[in-house]
Amino acid sequence: MPLLELRNVSKSFALPRGTLAVLEDISFSVEEGEFVAIVGPSGCGKSTLLRLINGIVSLSSGQVLYRGKQVDGINLETALVFQSFALLPWLSVKANVEMGLEARGISAEEREKRASIYIDKVGLDGFEEAYPRELSGGMKQRVGFARALAVEPQVLLMDEPFSALDALTAITLREELLDIWQAPDMSVKTIIMVTHIIEEAIELADRIIVLGSRPGRVVADLPVDLPRPRDRRSDAFNAWTDKVFSLIEERG
Amino acid sequence: MPAVNIIPIPDCHLTWVFGLLEFLEDRGGREDGYKIARDLQFKFGDLLKVMKAAEILGLVSTPAGDVVLEPLGRQWLASDMNHRKLILREQLKKHPLFSYLMRLLRAQEDRSLAKEVVLEHLAMLLPSEPPQRLFQTLVNWGRYAELFGYNKDEDRFYLDQE
Repeated sequence: MPLLELRNVSKSFALPRGTLAVLEDISFSVEEGEFVAIVGPSGCGKSTLLRLINGIVSLSSGQVLYRGKQVDGINLETALVFQSFALLPWLSVKANVEMGLEARGISAEEREKRASIYIDKVGLDGFEEAYPRELSGGMKQRVGFARALAVEPQVLLMDEPFSALDALTAITLREELLDIWQAPDMSVKTIIMVTHIIEEAIELADRIIVLGSRPGRVVADLPVDLPRPRDRRSDAFNAWTDKVFSLIEERG
Repeated sequence: MPAVNIIPIPDCHLTWVFGLLEFLEDRGGREDGYKIARDLQFKFGDLLKVMKAAEILGLVSTPAGDVVLEPLGRQWLASDMNHRKLILREQLKKHPLFSYLMRLLRAQEDRSLAKEVVLEHLAMLLPSEPPQRLFQTLVNWGRYAELFGYNKDEDRFYLDQE
């Protein structure tokens, strides 16, 4: 049984004049332990798709199954990482990391313990009492990672996690994410990442799902067979980049 | 407390330094600084700060405009998060500005100082550096290496661990 399965998922929004179809007839499944990247042109509904999987946004039709069961409302086995970091500026790093735990009814003692574990894992030891405005973008996104990991989700959902960062910061955080994902003691093994940066998807993911736009639909579902660690300058990597680009250009 | 040979630290995020090391590893350990800036679409002025910071930390050398991974940089790349912090902590302890501040903090009863006092020392030691910016960089590097802490609510700069 796949960990997550989308069956004929569609989403449309009601507008004053008619409806806007954002996603149409999306079907795919994700196995436990997979790192799946969803790529597509802007307007293909890829961020909406991530929110449908999380349950913040409701489906218009179709089904999202988690371990074979239909999910109603928010799937508490998932956690989101945002492009914009979405930190609360008046809370310290530690309080930002603990925030998601309080909402899930986790005791103060356990919140404290988990915050300390995941702050350590993302390299934020020493920053516990800092406020977001004291932090660089890279440090802010590490807080975003720690906050999502602290809920100990089964699936990590990442919405353009590196897109707001400069190139050197993004290189560092991508490496750190891979280290976290591959660490034997990490509870979350399954990652779904939305990105518009094709090289990023090829560098990180086991599988790439390409969406076409307006309305978004699956135009390709490709297992990435490149050995890790992946060399962005290799011919095989370039061939992959060309392949995914052409799929987006033709169908997008 | 005599201040000898205090060289400033560039206003640069440590995450940039780490990114530079990863990038150099992908390029076989050596690359031209100008090419790095071009390939990453990074402002050359910013990249120079990153190169300088990485060199101060002993992670790279910069002969003739190239950036070269040093053995310590390779060791950093092969290490896990906690060991990386340890490498930085040991390197920063050797830096005159950090060791000056550590001595200063150790001399205080509660091993802490008000931010204003630290700014005065910085202005005295490095009159051509904007002290606020230097303070922020010191706090960020110090926090990462778990050498210094800063509590903004109480405005206290303090010694974390040694």
